[in-house]
Amino acid sequence: MKASFWIGTALAALVAGGAVAQELKFAPGQDSKFNWKSYEDFKAAHADLKGQNLTLFGPWRGEDEVLFNSVLAYFNAATGINGRYSSSENYEQQIVIDTQAGSPPNIAIIPQPGLLADLAAKGFLTPLGQENSDWVKTNYGSGEDWLRYGTYKGKDGKQGYFGFPFKADFKSMVWYVPENFEEAGYKVPKTMEDLIKLSDQIVKDGGVPWCIGLGSGGATGWPATDWVEDMMLRTQKPEVYDKWVSNEVKFNDPAVVGAIEEFGKFAKNPKYVSGGVAAVASTDFRDSPKGLFGIPPKCYLHHQASFVPSFFPPGTKLGTDADFFYLPTYASKPELGTPVLGAGTMFAITKDSPAAKAFIEFLKTPIAHEVWMAQSSFLTPFKGANPNAYANEVLKKQGQALTTATTFRFDASDLMPGKIGAGAFWTGMVDYVGGKDAKTVATDIQKAWDGLK
Amino acid sequence: MSAVASLRRVGLPRLVVHLSVLVICIIWLIPTLGILVTSFRDAGQIAASGWWTAFTGAAETSAARLGDPSTAKQNGATYVITGSVFEGGKGGAVRAFGTRVAAPTEFAVGKAADLGDGETLTINEDGSYTYSKNAPFEGRGKRVYLSVATPPSFTTENYRTVLTSQGIGQSFVNSLTVAVPATIIPILIAAFAAYALSWMEFPGRALIIALVVGLIVVPLQMSLIPLLKMYNEIGNFFGVPSRSYAGIWLAHSAFGMPLAIYLLRNYIAGLPREIIESARVDGASDFEIFVKIILPLSFPALASFSIFQFLWTWNDLLVAMVFLGTGKDQLVLTGALNALLGSMGGKWEILTASAFITIVVPIIVFFALQRYLVRGLLAGSVKGG
Repeated sequence: MKASFWIGTALAALVAGGAVAQELKFAPGQDSKFNWKSYEDFKAAHADLKGQNLTLFGPWRGEDEVLFNSVLAYFNAATGINGRYSSSENYEQQIVIDTQAGSPPNIAIIPQPGLLADLAAKGFLTPLGQENSDWVKTNYGSGEDWLRYGTYKGKDGKQGYFGFPFKADFKSMVWYVPENFEEAGYKVPKTMEDLIKLSDQIVKDGGVPWCIGLGSGGATGWPATDWVEDMMLRTQKPEVYDKWVSNEVKFNDPAVVGAIEEFGKFAKNPKYVSGGVAAVASTDFRDSPKGLFGIPPKCYLHHQASFVPSFFPPGTKLGTDADFFYLPTYASKPELGTPVLGAGTMFAITKDSPAAKAFIEFLKTPIAHEVWMAQSSFLTPFKGANPNAYANEVLKKQGQALTTATTFRFDASDLMPGKIGAGAFWTGMVDYVGGKDAKTVATDIQKAWDGLK
Repeated sequence: MSAVASLRRVGLPRLVVHLSVLVICIIWLIPTLGILVTSFRDAGQIAASGWWTAFTGAAETSAARLGDPSTAKQNGATYVITGSVFEGGKGGAVRAFGTRVAAPTEFAVGKAADLGDGETLTINEDGSYTYSKNAPFEGRGKRVYLSVATPPSFTTENYRTVLTSQGIGQSFVNSLTVAVPATIIPILIAAFAAYALSWMEFPGRALIIALVVGLIVVPLQMSLIPLLKMYNEIGNFFGVPSRSYAGIWLAHSAFGMPLAIYLLRNYIAGLPREIIESARVDGASDFEIFVKIILPLSFPALASFSIFQFLWTWNDLLVAMVFLGTGKDQLVLTGALNALLGSMGGKWEILTASAFITIVVPIIVFFALQRYLVRGLLAGSVKGG
């Protein structure tokens, strides 16, 4: 045992010593769909930082981590900074522990603005300044909205700009298999009324329209929050949505209860959901999309965010084997426009340094976005990035929907206080699908919210 | 006759006990067996059917796409696409096929099926197909549905993926570097403390025991932030990194200490008073008693606690992430395997294979120490004395 320990330490020292420089995924200057000029300009402007260290900490693991490292490699190559990214399964808790204990990374990447607002209020974040906030406002699609989600109260009680958005997720999507639609003669619905008609038609033809899975271990229930938020945006004005997030509109307000019931129209109709209502809460969200590809299909429609293709059966080609359409709006409510529900990751400086500032500058270059766009699972609202850089048509379509949306709203459950958005809201939705009525569930969630004050 | 005789010899109550034990063992082993079988199946199979169906080659219905229209060859007035429905080394025997998802087994293999519009499609049992039309093909490659009889198939690909993934060897070494000292240090300290608390008379002894027992119920999560803060301050003061192996050894030792002291004290306090008193009469000091009498006698307790502590430090993710860090070169095995699952998780093939890979070391430790557990407690010492 002792011997193995010494060997182990020796090996650890050896391996740690040999840091390997990462190769660049696309050779600079070669493919014209990339904005190489922005890369060269950035390189020229940040030549004085060579050898500095930069630590980044975020939510991406596995394939996503490889993708982000491929972007980071360009930053490292351009500046000579040694930027290292790491992650952990409990990154939300870990970032709280690290900031409070006084050993934070330079940059924290957090998909929950609610959590960032907490950190900002305790004074753990460095403001990004007027220049960055103006940049986001003018260069991002729905820039005003993105700006708002990165602006929090600092320790001094004053509003400041802290979170720089990079990488967006698009949530208002319904996935389907085009061939199943063609064979049965179904058309992609353009309005919510048509979507309901289509669901009824599928039932009439002996099929099951929807696959819904809310299961997600300790986070069971979250996919339902996306449903409710989408329905909220399709039945209420965006201002009501914002007030709901800040609890000015109570959770048991008729507007919110109405949105929950809209979701219930789909999830609590035993003819509409694969496996019956009981299966909704017990099916894992990673398994439910597989029903689309059953032979015969277990369902025809699946509402889920842009990440879901990683849970399609291996070999599924986007655009041919599976496609998506925008979750339509009610034709009877044209005043609401085309609202988009989304999410995104925010980059915040938790330990200031010239290298950290330089990294935020890097995120403003088109090349930082394009390198990831050209691979997979990345959307950006940045208007300066070349849409042709998207790896496939499906991503391009999502990216366009994001930049052209009339209203962009961030996932409400990520904005609400953690105990609600990552607690009472989730469990409430499980209760609702389990049989409680919308009013009771909403009142329970509101009670939990009142308890926080 | 022999059955009845042996039943009489064993006795009915004992038989019932044995049977119940057997049943419980089997029930306990089923999930492990399921994980083992799953770890040898590929992601597609795991999604399609349960592990218990893995041993019977079943007829599966699957979908395949015929060649793109651009690969068609013109042959007079007809256009023909040929190829195989099995891609990338997959195999099996096609039993039937169809072109509509509603009727996936409409046509028999080997015979030309008339699809209307001048199209015919023949799929043979080996998967080769001929798709012809009296006009150019348009659109995308046609989707067909197949009923395929596949023999049971298993793959070691999952294990290869896990074992060859970047940084897994490093993290294995890291885990050992954390777990081995983090097992030895608390045992050394706890054994001294346990002896003192059970055989040395001093004021406040009962209070200290109560305090130690009380500490068992304090969740370690509560101390993460203050402890890390302390490490950071010490690290800053001496100009050394706050996250180090020494730090995590101390953290693990401290977290394991209350239970270690409690367990060992209970055991050591139960040793026969006569042995210790006669040693005192013969003039042995406390240290001599501890080293020459207590340690050899309490080996089973030390061994069982070291199994506990080793398993806990080996399986730990949280403490390692907080006190060692999350960088590539600092990850322990649990962290590295967790990272393989991706941001969203749900990769059963990776999860199950990693479970069996991590289990190897604890099993070796268990079997290595197991014989000390079953060894008779006082058998040697009494004779020797």
